[in-house]
Amino acid sequence: MLEFLLALLTTATVGALLVPLLRTTARRTERLDSALAIYRDQLAEIERTRADGTVSEAEAAAARLEVERRILNAANATKTAAPHDSSTLHRFLPPALALLIPLLALGIYLNVGRPGLPAAPFASRPAGEHPNPNEPITAERMLAEARARLAENPNDPEALAELGEALVLEADGTVTPDAVAALTRALAQRPDNPRAAYYLGLHEAQSGDSKAAVARWQALEAASPPDAPWLSMLRAEIARVARAAGMPVPPSATPSAPTGMPTPSRDQVEAMQSLDPAQRQEAIRGMVDGLDKRLKENPGDRAGWLRLANARRVLGENDKAADAYAKADALGTLDTRTLTDWAEAHVRQLKPGETPSPAAVTVLERLEKAEPRNALALFYLGAAAFAAGDKPGALRRWNTLLALLPADAPIRGLLEERIKAAEGK
Amino acid sequence: MNRRLLFLLPLATLALMAGFFAWSLLAGRDPASIGSVLVGRPAPRLDVKALRDGEPPLTDALLKTGKPTIVNFFASWCTPCLAEHPLFTRLATRDGAVIIGVAWKNKPAEANAWLKRLGDPYKFAGADLEGRTGLDWGLSGVPETYLVDGQGIVRRHFRGPITERDVNETILPFLKGAK
Repeated sequence: MLEFLLALLTTATVGALLVPLLRTTARRTERLDSALAIYRDQLAEIERTRADGTVSEAEAAAARLEVERRILNAANATKTAAPHDSSTLHRFLPPALALLIPLLALGIYLNVGRPGLPAAPFASRPAGEHPNPNEPITAERMLAEARARLAENPNDPEALAELGEALVLEADGTVTPDAVAALTRALAQRPDNPRAAYYLGLHEAQSGDSKAAVARWQALEAASPPDAPWLSMLRAEIARVARAAGMPVPPSATPSAPTGMPTPSRDQVEAMQSLDPAQRQEAIRGMVDGLDKRLKENPGDRAGWLRLANARRVLGENDKAADAYAKADALGTLDTRTLTDWAEAHVRQLKPGETPSPAAVTVLERLEKAEPRNALALFYLGAAAFAAGDKPGALRRWNTLLALLPADAPIRGLLEERIKAAEGK
Repeated sequence: MNRRLLFLLPLATLALMAGFFAWSLLAGRDPASIGSVLVGRPAPRLDVKALRDGEPPLTDALLKTGKPTIVNFFASWCTPCLAEHPLFTRLATRDGAVIIGVAWKNKPAEANAWLKRLGDPYKFAGADLEGRTGLDWGLSGVPETYLVDGQGIVRRHFRGPITERDVNETILPFLKGAK
């Protein structure tokens, strides 16, 4: 019905366009005819007035001549205009277009748009390339890795958890039954495996048991070390799932910085950027002092002490940094990286040529034990040994350091001088 | 006089439109919801080829077994379908629901691979490649889910993915209560 109406409309439009187009040539000859009729009348008029005697013979002849000249002009005008206007292209192009365009539309419609054409669903089209070739590869690589590890040890909980995670990645984030099976096996052997616990919680959330998911994740949160890298993500997930299920969001899941380095708010950051460098330094120092004060009230916060120590070290307050490292160390032995920072905080307090303090020596010795080729420990422990009269101890360390140093190290000259001094006496 | 009344016409039109918009906003109508004419009526004809190889086609008889049925239209290319999928797995395994899945405008090989990866909760699975059954069922897209009681009457029509709340507040009571 609609198609019929559209066809009717098109025909009417084409008709309305074609009729005036085809008429133009006819009208032009009509115009010449009417002009000739006027001139004929004028000639008759001249003849009549001449016969009456109102116009002289000579005047009548001049008027006739004038009219005849006009007739010739009119005939010439039609003739010279005709070839220009009605050249074949101009005469036939508009009507041809008016006819061709609707016909073309009809042809295309019958070819691709007509009702009753067979459907062309995606299934029967040739499959294109994958739009995102990178993504499946990572999941596939993880799967292959996990399966290779499981082939060696079928009950390796870490590999089982990895397999579960890879299956989840492969399923675009959905925890599939296969993944649940692998993760459950992983968790049965290592109940504290955070990856398995996280994804099993995710499965519970996805399969409509948000309460169990939140409970599992909160247990995981409680069991995680305070500086575990997954904590912020886990808290965000707890909040998301609790909110989606209409449950109260547990307070721990609302992002905040309960301890540790004070996290400046947006406003504070903006305010700080408007300060000049000296004022900014002052503001940062104020924040660090605030952290210090809080730690004095709550001295059991090891991560807090570590952050404070790092902040002090960066600010150049090396003595206070060393104290903070000692506090953190008392709450739990520091790792090698932090030991290096601690030792650095100690030796930076030294004036050139000064020997390290006993406290510094203790830290340096621990560092040397953890990392026997640590340049800092070798240099300063050598100096301490030299000062204590232990020349062989000093020489051993300095020679080791000299061998470790690159050929163009600026400290080489100083070191060689010292070695010479230790050997010479 | 008449001409002056004519000038009031745009103003009157504006007032009319403002009135309609105010009513729309205040009447508590959800303009995103297009409703469903199927609820309370017999389910439309179910006549699709089986999705899995070697299974008989799906017919109306599946909807009139005396037991409530869940009819879910899905597609492997549809992301919300991925999100609701674990809920169907749970309904099938834990709550013993009979779920009919219809892969809508989806290549059977792709739909099967998708189900193989995610797990297959469908007791009966059909392939509506052309979307004709979807048309009969008044589908606006995927995923959509219908709760059909034992007599083949549609009791609920979810447009969009089902959620945990839908499961707990609507689907589970329906499975328990409907005969």
